[in-house]
Amino acid sequence: MTDPGAVFVATGLEKRYDVPVLTGVDLDLRPGECHALVGENGAGKTTLVKILSGLTPASAGGMMLDGAAYRPRDRAEATSRGVRTVLQELVAVETLTVAESLFLERWPHRWGWIDRDALARESRPLLDRVGLQHLDPGQPMASLGIGQRQLVEIAAAVHRPCRLLLLDEPTAALTDAEAQRLFEVLADLQARGTALLYISHRLEEIRRLADRVTVLRDGRVVASEPIAAVSTDALIQLMVGRTVSEAITRTTPATDRPALQVRGLDAGPAVQDISFDVHWGEVLGFAGLVGAGRSETMRAVYGADDAHRGEVRIDGGEGGQRFASPGQAVEQGIAMLGEDRYRQGLLGTLPVRVNVALACLGRLARRLGWMDRTAEQTAVDALIRRLRVKCTSAEQPVDHLSGGNQQKSLIARWLLREPRILIFDEPTRGIDAGARAEVHQLVAGLADGGSAVLLVSSDLRELTTLSDRIAVLSKGRLVATFEGPDFDPEAIMTAAFSGHVAPHLTPPDHADHA
Amino acid sequence: MREGLSLVGVLVALSLGFGLLSETFLTSASLATIANQLPTALTLAVAMTLVLVAGEIDLSVGSVLAVSQGVLGVAMTQLGWSWPAAIAAGLTTGLLAGLVNGAIVVRWALPSFIVTLGMMEAARGGAYLVTGSRTQYIGADIEWLADISWLGLSAPFLAAVALVILAEVLLTRTVLGRQAIAIGTNEEAVRLAGIDTRRVKLTIFALAGLLAAVAGVMQVARLASADPNAGTGFELSAIAAAVIGGTRLMGGRGSAVNSSLGVVIMGVLATGLTQIGVQDPTKRLVTGGVIVLAVIADVYRQRWAGARQHAA
Amino acid sequence: MRTRWTRSRLVSLPTLVTYGLLGMACAGSPAPTDDAGAPAAANERPVVALVMKSLANEFFLTMEDGARAHQQANPNRYELVAEGIKDELDVARQIDLVEQMIARGADVLVLAPADSQALVSAAAGAVEAGLTVVNIDNRLDADALAERGLEIPFVGPDNRGGARQAGEVLAATLNAGDEVAIIEGAPGAYNAIQRRLGFEDAMQAAGMSVVASQSGYWEMDRANGVAAALLLAHPDLTALLCANDSMALGAAAAVRAAGREDDVAIVGFDNISAVQELVRDGTVLATVDQHADQIAVNGIEHALVILDSGETPADLQTDVTLITADTIP
Repeated sequence: MTDPGAVFVATGLEKRYDVPVLTGVDLDLRPGECHALVGENGAGKTTLVKILSGLTPASAGGMMLDGAAYRPRDRAEATSRGVRTVLQELVAVETLTVAESLFLERWPHRWGWIDRDALARESRPLLDRVGLQHLDPGQPMASLGIGQRQLVEIAAAVHRPCRLLLLDEPTAALTDAEAQRLFEVLADLQARGTALLYISHRLEEIRRLADRVTVLRDGRVVASEPIAAVSTDALIQLMVGRTVSEAITRTTPATDRPALQVRGLDAGPAVQDISFDVHWGEVLGFAGLVGAGRSETMRAVYGADDAHRGEVRIDGGEGGQRFASPGQAVEQGIAMLGEDRYRQGLLGTLPVRVNVALACLGRLARRLGWMDRTAEQTAVDALIRRLRVKCTSAEQPVDHLSGGNQQKSLIARWLLREPRILIFDEPTRGIDAGARAEVHQLVAGLADGGSAVLLVSSDLRELTTLSDRIAVLSKGRLVATFEGPDFDPEAIMTAAFSGHVAPHLTPPDHADHA
Repeated sequence: MREGLSLVGVLVALSLGFGLLSETFLTSASLATIANQLPTALTLAVAMTLVLVAGEIDLSVGSVLAVSQGVLGVAMTQLGWSWPAAIAAGLTTGLLAGLVNGAIVVRWALPSFIVTLGMMEAARGGAYLVTGSRTQYIGADIEWLADISWLGLSAPFLAAVALVILAEVLLTRTVLGRQAIAIGTNEEAVRLAGIDTRRVKLTIFALAGLLAAVAGVMQVARLASADPNAGTGFELSAIAAAVIGGTRLMGGRGSAVNSSLGVVIMGVLATGLTQIGVQDPTKRLVTGGVIVLAVIADVYRQRWAGARQHAA
Repeated sequence: MRTRWTRSRLVSLPTLVTYGLLGMACAGSPAPTDDAGAPAAANERPVVALVMKSLANEFFLTMEDGARAHQQANPNRYELVAEGIKDELDVARQIDLVEQMIARGADVLVLAPADSQALVSAAAGAVEAGLTVVNIDNRLDADALAERGLEIPFVGPDNRGGARQAGEVLAATLNAGDEVAIIEGAPGAYNAIQRRLGFEDAMQAAGMSVVASQSGYWEMDRANGVAAALLLAHPDLTALLCANDSMALGAAAAVRAAGREDDVAIVGFDNISAVQELVRDGTVLATVDQHADQIAVNGIEHALVILDSGETPADLQTDVTLITADTIP
């Protein structure tokens, strides 16, 4: 089974949080190989990378590196064994200089004083190697664009002995020229025998770079093949699996009466002149790449962030106004489920009851702000049953629940409020398949019941399944709107990229704000 | 509730210990004396608990106490006001100081640590200005307040107990209390749930200022004098009592009843150690040790509770 | 020189940060005057720097007022710069003040040290910089001065003698063998120690039994707590000797709360205005007026004499006055 020439072998890896995230994952990597890892969002790719790079331990299973057992306790141990990682989320310390970031793990020093000259001297060739000849090593990281930061991270990862390099969406933020340079660096590493584990959503990129591909679905390996042996269509088929059980049936068509009309909304560089209508009984999907401005648009509509221009009209009512705070939006019957449920939704240490009741405290109180505990208990229990929130009781702290049940608690919070217009921002991110299907049913049910729904998702399948129409944002602008029910995913993706094909691809930090 | 019980356990153990070491400690006169020393500290601990629960801090309570009692004292001794008018003036001073704290924190989204540190200085300066840095002796015109008693317990003590209960009810049974706890847990989530977090925080700071003034009135009644130096360091004692009572410094968790048990524990320690003749350096050593031990014990209690929850 | 600078800066850093944050640094910098910073020429009026303890304390406020009145009465003899610290324990701030006075070219430093030990190095710095230094109110530690070979004259009230007088008034009303307790000032403070010794002198001489001696940190509220506990622990207590009047007020409240006004007598020290009513009605048996308004004046006069004559410095003890219901105006 195991390849004797492999530099790295994993057998039966498992990882469980509240639900299994990885189950029985086998993987072997050969020296000098580029091995692509693909799968949908939430398939377990990032978790697998975290296990390999020592950021989290596996629940079960074993790993071998260069024929010896490999079980890193932390990233430093993984690094010392020659396993290096360039993570999806940049962890740069903004106040450090480029040179300091390159040598973060071991600054050249003399008696505890950092040797700045040595630092600058040793930085130069590393930067040259990744095509950053013109970058001053003394520059602070904060002054760099995202693409340049990514290249610095890569330079930091590869300047020491490297048996295995893990790359999680390395080109997501790079311009074409920067990506080209990266590919050359990677080819150079491969030639020296480093194995690459390469995660990307960009299938054409994978087809070009990779030797073999492993497909993850719901935490399991569904295929591991030479790239030449599998067509792109087949790859998508493998990633997606079969979706019959997820089919959503809508019973009531959308009306043509506008529920929410947004006109000329501007809020910083991420939201530029956005206009759209949502109708009663309609689900309007929002597609776009990371950073396209979808969440920012929703927050500006909801009054969570300040918008500096534009207007928001409810139910065809008075124009010329915006919401100054979420409180005003909620008064008008709007609700928003934020994209980050930990930061924007959950009261982690508090009971499910308190979390669910939060948006409705006024209605659950008698005179003088005195809480009606019986009414609260009854209302919360009813919603827990209706949404099948799995908890020992309404008094269980919400952070003891699984991600899916936490999300259901937050949806329950809004259902209790009975809003007419709901904004769902990434409602199924990081939750298991069962909860995901239930959330989908809920969203469809709300629209069938006459509510207007704005649905932001990075999961195109989710959008196409649920939406009546899909608006596509790219670089802060609404570039296209597609009518359902039969959407063309390729056309949507093309539209999502359309903002990025402009001739001058400047990183956001240097973007022209005029 | 369980944490309350463990605090009561500590209290009983301490009292029995002092009872063994000093024959006068466990007498009704002794216990009443301890109780009648506590109203100021109890009221400040209530104020601090409300603010801490909402994820903020109020370092100005001691100084606000001083400026409020300064206003009260000057009104009675120099302006010849009647006691109700003077007390009203003192309480208004505290309320205004609290409103200023809250308004600045909310308007400019500043950390309350620094805003109330500023108020701590400013209010102390106000106390010196209003009194001309002179202690105001009021005497019988005010001390009759502390003389009213029931079963040996003074009116200020009974009022402080009532405030503790009111604050506990506020935290557990009212919309404002629920909102404060939620804000202390995750302010952004509360804001996104459509709640005006600024109004809640302003109310909490105003309440804290008012309670500091109430504590000032209680102290004036007990000492028959208004002292511009009063309350120095009381903010730290209030924080310590709240923490002993299991209040989370980062917000989201706290109980007025448990904080008040923290006050009683510190009070028993202070009086008990004095009665058995322990000198001041040792007193401080022991008191500091008890504070730290209480916090360590709380860590274990939470782990234990967490483990139970997970097992359930 | 170098060590002194480093040490005091280290000590005062948190204070500086606090002041800087609050934008209150101006409160501590020398008051701007028309010739600020100019070194005094020989034929000009000498600059007298008066550095006191807490101006929040009535005692030092009176001291400052006395000095200002004296300077206004003698405008041609000297120029006065008076500064105080925030509270009595803010030693680092006081060291900063002394250094600021040296920097602005003062000729005379009249210093009421917040701490007998910690201010020695700052005072030595002033001597080194050529200032005439006079110590008032709270005596600098004699051993620490000797160690540095410094002779700094002390001008101050007789704390011990004053306390003994107050104690004697008390003793006259008691019987030998009666139980008494002392509520002391801040531990380690020179005047706190002197007053305790004075009380003890009187009690020993009269054959009283001192059953407890605890610190009330000069504060009313703390003294109240200590007094209440002492009253409980000692049912036969007949008197509380308090090292200042604020603590006497606190003790009086505790005695009243315990309902033992008729059994327990109180003496204080300082003769602050708030205590006078209690002296009149006999609640406080005696207090001691150390003439705060004259202490700084005496110090300044003493320094001017030294400055003019260059004679060997000598100590000067100022008078204290016993205040009882009979003598109070």
